[in-house]
Amino acid sequence: MAKAPSLSDATALRDETVLRQVRHLGSARSGLHEWRLQRLTALALIPLGLYFAASILWLAKSDQVTAAAWLASPVPALLVILFVLAGLAHALIGLNSVVLDYVHTRARLLAAELLIRAAAIILAGASVLAVLKLFLGR
Amino acid sequence: MNRPLSPFMFPIWYRFQITSALSILHRLTGIALAVGSILLAWWLVSVAAGGELFAATHAFIASPVGMLLLFGWSTAFFYHLSNGIRHLAWDAGYGFELRQAYRSGYAVLAATALLTALAWLYVFLP
Repeated sequence: MAKAPSLSDATALRDETVLRQVRHLGSARSGLHEWRLQRLTALALIPLGLYFAASILWLAKSDQVTAAAWLASPVPALLVILFVLAGLAHALIGLNSVVLDYVHTRARLLAAELLIRAAAIILAGASVLAVLKLFLGR
Repeated sequence: MNRPLSPFMFPIWYRFQITSALSILHRLTGIALAVGSILLAWWLVSVAAGGELFAATHAFIASPVGMLLLFGWSTAFFYHLSNGIRHLAWDAGYGFELRQAYRSGYAVLAATALLTALAWLYVFLP
């Protein structure tokens, strides 16, 4: 039996046309994607942030050896890496949307966005390498 | 009669509202926390490096300027966290009534003060 074209197929086609018009808009030029990523990272950052804050408070009364031992254990290493990556992805989108509101020249906007992106990537790389060094060097 | 048009009339004709103030504060604390990620990465690297670098980083953090920065960042962190949850509730469609928006706004301020106070009490109490 041949499948009749369903209403949902027609709707999907229309949505695709609409989607094509809004793609590459927004401060990351990716339409809805960055909005979703901002919310998803926000959700992830609630438990990750609380875990990190509690850990830092606990570490505040200890020394480098304790901090290094803490970062060398698997669960803290993983959670700190996830916290840093989610936090920087969240910050990248947030800063880009701030820049988009106040920088009105195309070239300056691009320069600012590239600068923010570069800074986020360098900080992410340095943080992950630092944790990995401690984790792998046990 | 000339009526006020928009927030740029602030503060003479435009009445201050906690809702808009908290919204601006969410952005400002977000920017502050993004800057704070530099110290976070720096601290992680110093723990990994150990030795003199960690000693210098620890000395900076323990200095009056370092403590002031940490206090600011901790307040910004707890504020952005609390108000972020408020924003997520709005995204899910809850709490849009004016009374609710005001009430959740005061709740965010209270949560920020409480969490910041608890954190620093934990650090400074023996």
